[in-house]
Amino acid sequence: MNDMRLLERSVDQTEIKISARDVQVWYGEKHAIKDVNVDLLDKTVTAFIGPSGCGKSTFLRCLNRMNDTIDISRVEGKITLDGEDIYDRRVDPVQLRARVGMVFQKPNPFPKSIYDNVAYGPRIHGLARNRAELDEIVEKSLRGAALWNEVKDRLSDPGTGLSGGQQQRLCIARAVATQPEVLLMDEPCSALDPIATSQIEELIDQLRAEFSVVIVTHSMQQAARVSQKTAFFHLGNLVEYGNTDDIFTNPRDPRTESYISGRIG
Amino acid sequence: MPVSWTLLIVLVLAGAGYLVTRARVVALAGGDTRRLHSRPSYHGWNAALLTALPALFLIAIWRFLLPAANATPVAVLALILAAAGLGVALSRSAPGFRARNAVESMVKGLLILCSSIAILTTAGIVFSMLFETGHFFQQYPWQDFFFGTTWSPRFGGGSQLGILPLLWGTIYISLIALAVSVPIGLFAAIYMSEYASAKLRSVAKPAIEVLAGIPTIVYGLFALITVGPMLRDYFAQPLGLGNSGASVMTAGLVMGIMLIPFVSSLSDDIINAVPQSLRDGALGLGSTQSETIRKVVLPAALPGIVGAILLAASRAIGETMIVVLGAGAAARMDMNPFEAMTTITVKIVSQLTGDNDFAAPETLVAFALGLTLFVITLGLNIVALYVVRKYREQYE
Amino acid sequence: MSDATLHGAQPRPSLLVADPRTRKRNAAEARFRAYGLGAIVISMVMLVILLFTILTGGLGAFRQTYLEIPVTLDAAQLDKTGNRDPADLRKVLTLTYGKILQQSLEQAIADKGIAIADLSAKDVSNLISKEASAQLRNRVLADPELIGQTVEARVLVNGRVDGYYKGRVSMESAARDANTSPAQLQLADALKAQGMLATQWNWSFLTSPDASDQRPEAAGVGIAILGSLYMMLVVLVLAVPIGVAASIYLEEFAPRNRWTDIIEVNISNLAAVPSIVFGILGLAAFINFAGLPQSAPIVGGLVLTLMTLPTIIIATRAALKAVPPSIRDAALGVGASRMQSVFHHVLPLAMPGILTGTIIGLAQALGETAPLLLIGMVAFVKNFPSAPPDGLFEPASALPVQVYNWTQRADPAFIERASGAIIVLLVFLLCMNLLAILLRRKFERRW
Repeated sequence: MNDMRLLERSVDQTEIKISARDVQVWYGEKHAIKDVNVDLLDKTVTAFIGPSGCGKSTFLRCLNRMNDTIDISRVEGKITLDGEDIYDRRVDPVQLRARVGMVFQKPNPFPKSIYDNVAYGPRIHGLARNRAELDEIVEKSLRGAALWNEVKDRLSDPGTGLSGGQQQRLCIARAVATQPEVLLMDEPCSALDPIATSQIEELIDQLRAEFSVVIVTHSMQQAARVSQKTAFFHLGNLVEYGNTDDIFTNPRDPRTESYISGRIG
Repeated sequence: MPVSWTLLIVLVLAGAGYLVTRARVVALAGGDTRRLHSRPSYHGWNAALLTALPALFLIAIWRFLLPAANATPVAVLALILAAAGLGVALSRSAPGFRARNAVESMVKGLLILCSSIAILTTAGIVFSMLFETGHFFQQYPWQDFFFGTTWSPRFGGGSQLGILPLLWGTIYISLIALAVSVPIGLFAAIYMSEYASAKLRSVAKPAIEVLAGIPTIVYGLFALITVGPMLRDYFAQPLGLGNSGASVMTAGLVMGIMLIPFVSSLSDDIINAVPQSLRDGALGLGSTQSETIRKVVLPAALPGIVGAILLAASRAIGETMIVVLGAGAAARMDMNPFEAMTTITVKIVSQLTGDNDFAAPETLVAFALGLTLFVITLGLNIVALYVVRKYREQYE
Repeated sequence: MSDATLHGAQPRPSLLVADPRTRKRNAAEARFRAYGLGAIVISMVMLVILLFTILTGGLGAFRQTYLEIPVTLDAAQLDKTGNRDPADLRKVLTLTYGKILQQSLEQAIADKGIAIADLSAKDVSNLISKEASAQLRNRVLADPELIGQTVEARVLVNGRVDGYYKGRVSMESAARDANTSPAQLQLADALKAQGMLATQWNWSFLTSPDASDQRPEAAGVGIAILGSLYMMLVVLVLAVPIGVAASIYLEEFAPRNRWTDIIEVNISNLAAVPSIVFGILGLAAFINFAGLPQSAPIVGGLVLTLMTLPTIIIATRAALKAVPPSIRDAALGVGASRMQSVFHHVLPLAMPGILTGTIIGLAQALGETAPLLLIGMVAFVKNFPSAPPDGLFEPASALPVQVYNWTQRADPAFIERASGAIIVLLVFLLCMNLLAILLRRKFERRW
């Protein structure tokens, strides 16, 4: 299996989707992210790894301006999506988030039916002109999240009644349904059991065909399994960014090496 | 007063029991308190409680349940009980006696007694009203009470005591009050919990709490001297809808203002119980904040909000002073909100203040009205509390 | 899969330009926000209007117009026997003192040379409150030596004239009023110009008892304050220990069974039972059944105790719940019994919360009106009750009931008194709430 992956990784994308320059984040007095520069590629899975509190989730939340919802946070620097500055004053974060979707640590389906959960995004963004189109988007998204076969007969059941792994795939389907270009995933498997985790990981690999995926993970094994690119964060700094294989087999920075080999974390 | 004398003697006996037993137990242990099972003060407390409790209990029953009973034998009986308790305590005091356990179980008994007062109160409410309502229905047919459309009590006979006009006034005023308080209270709560800056919140939240702490008589006076005349002069008279200061609209508006803080603080709790992860989920999909609130937070909070509205409705139906001063006294079934109408609570007050003849149906009807009010509000409360409780469990 | 998007793959629009749909959604967002802000503004404005009308309407009650004239206490009229025997002095009625006041006033007017051409003698004497003669009588009875002397007296002025200086009565309204006349008001103005008539700070509003329908100028909240105080005393003595004991049992000892479930549901329901129902209970149980006297603070206190218990229990349970279980475990771990762990550790830690809840419960009880109406607190009470415990069984009034009482009277001067009484009530409530807030601030603890 590893051999297959290595082969896939070698066909790298080169088109830059998101680019960050000199990004700083403050939470009140705390300087949470320092001078981060990174280019995230299209149709690629990028993993952010690092010890807890290193700022990887914070940086992820900058990419669709979820930090805006926290009063005390302040972002400096430049982040562009397809060359457009997402922190420009003219940018509406609502429009941005429709293009940069997000999946959270804990599955958070709305207390609505499975169908309504997936249809939520298309409805608010007006993606479907009629019910038939909406049905189509829902089915396509659920298929995309590898959940269709499990739920197709009970679309009107509440989404909160599904198992943890199914709920998380529902949340991925919900994010996919808004037809984003980038999918941010904040430790999407941390609340799940190993079987559900492996299903999600498989799904992430499929999603790469269509989206640029950025995943924050606590588990180095997971990063190694799913990603083509890896960024290592430590104490708010982006220490090292490169091909996943290189990071794990041949880290350049001693801090990366310590972390990979389990000395810090 | 023999009551206070008996009380005093019992308390002195208890105090003496405490000191004597404590000293005796220490002496029995030869001064070495480590040989006692319980600390000496527990032995003392055991004696004090055994002396005082039975006697006090007897006095309480005598004073409140049998006020007519002859005082002297009861007082003597109480003193005998106290002395007997002291005797028992003294005879049982020994170093090995588990005084702490004895005291603790007595205290626990007291605690249970206190917590049963709530049940006793409810029972008292129900029985006192049932009893007199029974008397009322012996003199006045219940069909006429529940289905009568005229309310005209006449001391001297020939009264018509139909509840429907009162019920209509009550419901009409409550609906107006809810129409004012629910949107304003709900929006205030939403703004406060989802939008307001810390600065605004630190001003507005106490202000709304102040509204909640103002006694209803103040709102009543506000209705009487400000809102009533204003509505009459600027709305009712120009529109030709009547010329009464006291009206359904006056009472409804003022009651609505009174209920704003009630609705908003309940809704605030309920909205805050919706987990943040749901908000994040919606925002992460590109919802605006209001879409998040309208399509995710509010639907999720709906059962709780419905419960809050039911509680507010029950408050509105049972509210007295605002309607006494703001709604008027004329029993009427009319659609015109600028007309004076009256409510169940107003009529309870007017039938039970002044000199009461507890044999006349015109007085007793107040108990039937009270019972009806109690049943309606109790029903609303039980449903509301059940809904809110279920709602909270969902997110715990 | 990427080229299979539903409407065909379109190039994404720029982020820098808001598309029409987003603009529409943002407008909806702004509207929604405005509704929320509007709701808050409406509530605040209502609060301001409410407080403003009560304050402006009620501050007048704290000022009162008095006439300062020399009064000749004629011994021939007041003490015919001449031996200053208190028993004989008591036989002299207020009517006589009224005449003396009238003579003194007429004398004073004549001395100052004020023309009272078109004013009848009755109009002149009407300037003085009917209560003034009773006050003068009390003063003489307290000090018989005054008889025969000429003393400076501060004489209460009729409510209409008082209203004239507070803006309630005008020359136009006086012309239509049977109880006063423009000429009388002109006389008052003349007296004021001479410095004999002035509107001053009115302590007696806070200390004197209620007065009858015709004498709004003499009415005060003294008995009402005392009655409310007595009732609060009863509530404090009964509701707090019972409430705390009940909460301790329910929170710390009660097994989870059907009985405790019933008690819990019961308590939350009692908290929402309309207050007037408690009044019916008080009437039926304490007055008709137990035979306690009407209008007595003890009955009011008992009714308010039953009403306040649920509030205190709910607050106390919340305070007990906030003490972390680790404290209980620690006490049990060193060999304390459960009772000891509760009384030695949990209860002291929960005390600030319990106090705050209790004060808020008391404040609620202080403002409660409806149940007190039913147990006869509306009765007109002219004599102060004695000190507790006996005073608890004697008739008294209560602040909120006094307000209600005054709203039911015809003379508009009583509305000013009612608003004044509300100011007193609100001041008490404000103090209690401030105390609660201070306690919470001082002892607030985060676990």
